[in-house]
Amino acid sequence: MSKLFFVLLGMVIQGCCIAQKKQLSMPIGFENICKEEKSILNKNLVNAFAENYTITKFKYYISNVKFVTDKKTKNTPGVYLVDASKKNIISIIVPSKKINGISFLLGVDSILNCSGAQSGALDPLNDMFWTWNNGYIFFKVEGNSASSKADLHRIEHHIGGFKGSNKTMREIYLPINNPALLKQKTLVIQLDIDKYWNGINKIRIAETPVVALPGIQAKNAADNFAGMFSIKNNL
Amino acid sequence: MKINITLYFLIFITTALLLISAGKKYYSPTPVSFTVPKGFPAPNNIFLKNKLTEEGFELGKKMFYDTRLSKDGEVSCGSCHQQFAAFATYDHDLSHGINNSFSNRNAPALINLAWMKEWHWDGGINHLEMQPLSPLSAANEMGEKLDTVILKLKADTAYRRMFKAAFGDANITTERMLKAFAQFTGSLVSADSKYDKVKRGEAVFILPEQKGYEIFKANCNGCHKEPLFTDNSFRNNGIALNRFNDVGRQTISQDKKDSLKFKVPTLRNVALTLPYMHDGQINSLENVINHYTDLDTNLMNLDPLLTKKINFTDKEKRQLVLFLYTLTDTSFTKNKRFAP
Repeated sequence: MSKLFFVLLGMVIQGCCIAQKKQLSMPIGFENICKEEKSILNKNLVNAFAENYTITKFKYYISNVKFVTDKKTKNTPGVYLVDASKKNIISIIVPSKKINGISFLLGVDSILNCSGAQSGALDPLNDMFWTWNNGYIFFKVEGNSASSKADLHRIEHHIGGFKGSNKTMREIYLPINNPALLKQKTLVIQLDIDKYWNGINKIRIAETPVVALPGIQAKNAADNFAGMFSIKNNL
Repeated sequence: MKINITLYFLIFITTALLLISAGKKYYSPTPVSFTVPKGFPAPNNIFLKNKLTEEGFELGKKMFYDTRLSKDGEVSCGSCHQQFAAFATYDHDLSHGINNSFSNRNAPALINLAWMKEWHWDGGINHLEMQPLSPLSAANEMGEKLDTVILKLKADTAYRRMFKAAFGDANITTERMLKAFAQFTGSLVSADSKYDKVKRGEAVFILPEQKGYEIFKANCNGCHKEPLFTDNSFRNNGIALNRFNDVGRQTISQDKKDSLKFKVPTLRNVALTLPYMHDGQINSLENVINHYTDLDTNLMNLDPLLTKKINFTDKEKRQLVLFLYTLTDTSFTKNKRFAP
């Protein structure tokens, strides 16, 4: 009796797998660079304001990832914590329609900021959650710079806040004009940290070495998010 | 064909039942129903995704009273949230953290937390499950790092057993720890004071209590709204900026309009939660009432409900205090279920 059941169960599971396999997915890689530098941790970097600096910690949240077509497409479920000290590859669903671009949210939506205890990327163990003023830090840069007047010349930008006009999650859209980009093994999205300091808003380390709470400074920093990203074209 | 389908269906049902019963042998936490006291509004939905069970509650309680979770092993949640003081710190303006440190605020009583939307004096906590992260890690409270707390739990066989009983396996995660804490703290319901008995028709106020209740309804009910005795709002009640430069709600909202606004505390068990106000600067109920009658109603940013002068005779003040005494619920402060 139970043997027969397991045979049936096996068939059902197999059936499910086949159904899932039909949905194609593509790996997306996130690379964090600084101009010509291919990685950013523990490198001597210099920004547009001639401020020398090094980055020791660099993490940010990515969610609601999807390929954009002429029709509405579904978000790939899940939240990813991109960490510059690791390889960051996520897998997203490929729609059958013609792809125009890719979009994602830097940060996590407001509901996930007030949903209580969560695991995985949103586990507070990842050190991306404010315990005294609840909400996730969406984007974290830590390091040092001689230009910083903060204690130990530190740079500490903890950008977050999900409420009202100072919210800091940002929808990012990157067009994909060359279909050959989608034929690669992995589609790579690059973040250029140089554009974080030198974006729509100019962030000088000497003036703003530390941002550690939601507010206008965090909002201004978030306005630079979209400009940091591009699709790597090495065809 | 028809027989075939029926046969398959029967096989499916019986095996499913077999599997369920087999699973139960290993994982069967006892559900606990969360009772909403008569006359109370609907609570928030903290137990919707975090199913309240006996095993989860017991685990939360054990962690609540476990001093080992602090950095120096001396302080637990229960050190500052004492049951006999309705889970406030009795007779302390500020509470003691590790290394003889002091908190900057008066430990709030943990009463009817399941009816709140935001916790702490400044409302900085947006979900009951996330609250423990703050006192566990604050340098002037328990001062421990989250990863170390998890390691301490994992190293203890009793905890491994209790996590398994509550969640099905011995995997100890932040999420499970926080959910268990919330099962305990969210269960701290106080709704059986003399006031409640009067409301249910099981007791009657003596005359001065009745007079006090009428004074209360005419003057205090705007913020300390029945039956929770708080409207859970943030208000500036005229307490000046203290030595810690604590601006309260403004710290969270970054909005100057919220300067010196603090959460309206519940008045349930208020006779036991002395001293009063966010920094414990007022030592008796009489003096709290004096604060409101003597208040300078022209103060900047004072809550609109306080801008009308309040006048009480000495007798009225005594009657009001007697009414506040009727909010003491010894079935809560002596409930063995909440004790270590």
